[in-house]
Amino acid sequence: MLRIFYGEPESQNYIFNPDAFFNNTYEDEWITDPLSKQMIKDVDGSDVVGPRLIDSPFLGPVPAERLSGGVKTLMLMNFDTDHIFNASACGDNCAPWILRIAQNKDLTIRLGYLMDFGKDPFDIEIVNIHKVVHSMKELNESVLDNRLI
Amino acid sequence: MTGKYNIEVYNNRVHYFLTVKRNITILQGNSATGKTELLRLISDHETNGVSSGITLLCDKRCTVLTPVDWELRLSGLESSIVFIDKTAGFIKSKRFAELVKGSDNYFVIVTRDDLSQLPYSIEEIYGLKNVSDNQKYKSYRRIYNEMYKLYDFNISKEFEPDTVLTEDSHSGYEFFKLLYGEKCISAKGKSNVYQCIRDNSDKQILAIVDGAAFGAEIGKIYRYLDSNQVKCIIYAPESFEFLLLSAGFIDVPDDVTDETWKYADSKLYMSWEEFYTDYLIKNTYGTIYQYNKTRLAAPYKTEGIISKVISVMPDELLLK
Repeated sequence: MLRIFYGEPESQNYIFNPDAFFNNTYEDEWITDPLSKQMIKDVDGSDVVGPRLIDSPFLGPVPAERLSGGVKTLMLMNFDTDHIFNASACGDNCAPWILRIAQNKDLTIRLGYLMDFGKDPFDIEIVNIHKVVHSMKELNESVLDNRLI
Repeated sequence: MTGKYNIEVYNNRVHYFLTVKRNITILQGNSATGKTELLRLISDHETNGVSSGITLLCDKRCTVLTPVDWELRLSGLESSIVFIDKTAGFIKSKRFAELVKGSDNYFVIVTRDDLSQLPYSIEEIYGLKNVSDNQKYKSYRRIYNEMYKLYDFNISKEFEPDTVLTEDSHSGYEFFKLLYGEKCISAKGKSNVYQCIRDNSDKQILAIVDGAAFGAEIGKIYRYLDSNQVKCIIYAPESFEFLLLSAGFIDVPDDVTDETWKYADSKLYMSWEEFYTDYLIKNTYGTIYQYNKTRLAAPYKTEGIISKVISVMPDELLLK
């Protein structure tokens, strides 16, 4: 299930800059994992040639460190179980992947904006108010009514 | 700092154009649209100059401010365009807002989070858009990016508001109450606009806000309106004072309102809203139109002035 903390968490396992954190912690296997490949293709439009080479239509051949901050954060969400990551590093185009990752694990993230999780029903717990919501209408209202951002 | 500046930066793979004309510009958008790459190019160019292989064309110095000793570095910058990435936690700090106020620099900030302590314009929130042709895309050549504005609201010609909501609680509210009568209510500040819309969400709403300083609020409200299908139009002229200056009852050179970047010095004005208010007060001082932001003077309530202001508002917003 996906759990979202809105605002500024004070917990010690919160990672504000997942881009930098990824560069210094990622494993080669993360890059070649089938789900990672799909996310890299969908978000960055890039193909994984190998664990140390990404073929980007915009940037040419680049190392994993040059992937977008969004897709790096997605991989951290998928492979790292010890931290809460700042999902404001992810744009709306990462939202379906966040929901998908959270289908297979309990995932807690931080957001500072109203990410669009789409029109399909979902289960998201707003950590600040311990409330589970099922639609964007419910999510946006709950966040704004409680002035969480 | 005043002025409007075109920035063009490119290497052999990516090519960016953007124009900045106010002290604060915000870059948002999906992941992988090239925001971080833009800042990387500017940073590399600054570090290595011509040796970087990057071309940067701009009449002002462009620099990237990182979290390391940011206050110290910022204190040494002037007449520059300062780019800041979302990974710089200080952009949400009170100290940063204090240093932006009175700064001789323009700031271009990459962030999806709202920066509620900064009065930025809804007009200066941009998303990067790719505009490359297919051949170049396929051959991994340069991608041309242009900036596009978010939040362009379409105004329906059939729209008839049940409630007119103003961000302003003083002169602006008084004026619009004359125009819309009892339908008009004040939100008493921009941070209350959401709640007022929410309280009236079963009605057709016209919300009038000062666009020049509403940037931190517009994203939240836009998302709320979208997810809740609320029949609400946000009308966001620069400010109420901008409407008065545009109405032409005092002699104002066209470019004060049309090319405000020539006049609104970032050292003196945190937002163009402040500039328009100051300009109106100074240029009506000692005349029958002497302007007071807290109370609307009698001459502004006359039919002649009201009709002049109406003439610069979109027809669709006027009651039928």
